[in-house]
Amino acid sequence: MSGHAVVRVLLVVAVALLAQETVVLDVRLGGMSPDIMFLLPIAAGVVAGPVEGAAVGFVAGFAADLLAPTPLGLSALVGTVVGFGVGAISGSLVREVRGLPTVVALGASAVAVMLYAVLGAVLGESQFLQVNLALVVVVVAVPNALLAGPTVRLMRWALTSPDERSAAGGMR
Amino acid sequence: MARPRRSRRTLTTLVLLVLLSVTIITLDETGRAHFFTSGMRSLASDIYSPLRRGVNDVLDPVGRFFAGAIYYGSLEQENQKLQNQILAIEGQRSAIAAGQRQLIELERLQATDRLPSIVSLPAVVAEVTAQNVSNFAATVNIDKGGDQGVRLGDPVVGPGGLVGEVVTVHHGSATVRLLTDGKSEIGVSLGHQQQAILEGAGPNRSLQIQYVPSTATVSPGELIETSGLQGAALPPGIPVARVTSVHSVVGAADKQVWAKSLADLNALSYVEVILWSGSS
Repeated sequence: MSGHAVVRVLLVVAVALLAQETVVLDVRLGGMSPDIMFLLPIAAGVVAGPVEGAAVGFVAGFAADLLAPTPLGLSALVGTVVGFGVGAISGSLVREVRGLPTVVALGASAVAVMLYAVLGAVLGESQFLQVNLALVVVVVAVPNALLAGPTVRLMRWALTSPDERSAAGGMR
Repeated sequence: MARPRRSRRTLTTLVLLVLLSVTIITLDETGRAHFFTSGMRSLASDIYSPLRRGVNDVLDPVGRFFAGAIYYGSLEQENQKLQNQILAIEGQRSAIAAGQRQLIELERLQATDRLPSIVSLPAVVAEVTAQNVSNFAATVNIDKGGDQGVRLGDPVVGPGGLVGEVVTVHHGSATVRLLTDGKSEIGVSLGHQQQAILEGAGPNRSLQIQYVPSTATVSPGELIETSGLQGAALPPGIPVARVTSVHSVVGAADKQVWAKSLADLNALSYVEVILWSGSS
């Protein structure tokens, strides 16, 4: 990842966090709110692969942890694993098949929520399993699937240089 | 040969980031680097609080405009209903004034009975800036913090009664753990001076009262207040909840008692932080 890419990723994470803390937090479905911070590592994994997915997952998760009343580092851990997993599993397939990022975002967001709840419970936060987990999974995964397309485009802008983007455009 | 090297680099990155995350979790959970982790959280909160307020100030009027346009008819009806209520309330005010004088006298008597009473404690009014930031914790963020005298463990009251207690304090903001949070445990007393522990069972769920002996007399509708036993985290006499259901299980030592908070925890706009920790 180049220096410019790092700056662009940090900008995307900062803006996404602000959106999460304001607009997204006000969206309530059954008392739960969507979580777009898990979408960033998924999009990074789809666009650039496991290393970038893990790195973006760590940064986005850690940023989210700083403002949440939950264990510091837990979202970073989940983001790292999910970003890496998406990048490793999807590989080149997702980048070429239209609409598949939406399905990946749906499944990976669901896995991220469940992993977060289980790891939290393992760390002694037993109340993480007291919430309606199925509802949280739906409220987080469905909006993330709907937002997967724009987020993948945003992450492509952040992670690739203008030369790489124009080369990719020329190949099409 | 390039492929194995790349996959080794990939795995190394994963292992390093996972180890870094686990280290941060360990430092935060054990409290060994509390000054560092809480300092970072304070810094993030101090940076993001004004940004969040700014965005909300810009977006709220837009949201209200659309809400007003969509619900114009019902708003008009509600307006008429509220005007009728104001007329009724004004009629009741004179009767209440006499009752209030008696109540103040009663509170004075109570203050001498249970010291320190919350009436005599200083308090700051705070605005709720965010509710349930995480889906896994029932908390609210408020716009008052250490600079205004708020301390860890301070009780927070809202319309009706106790809302929760302060669990994180930054310079100009704080986080309040609500009664419904799964980690919330508060010493309470029920009628006839029965002591118990009121526990949260997760967001939007009933409150659970633990350690009520099967021989105790508890009935639905009964008022629950903070107990304020010696060394208690909260002062005595703050109204908390009302009993909603009581079940006795044959052979069990304790009754199963459930309650509902007096304050509406899903609709908090302003709360009052009682500066108890500093004065206790």
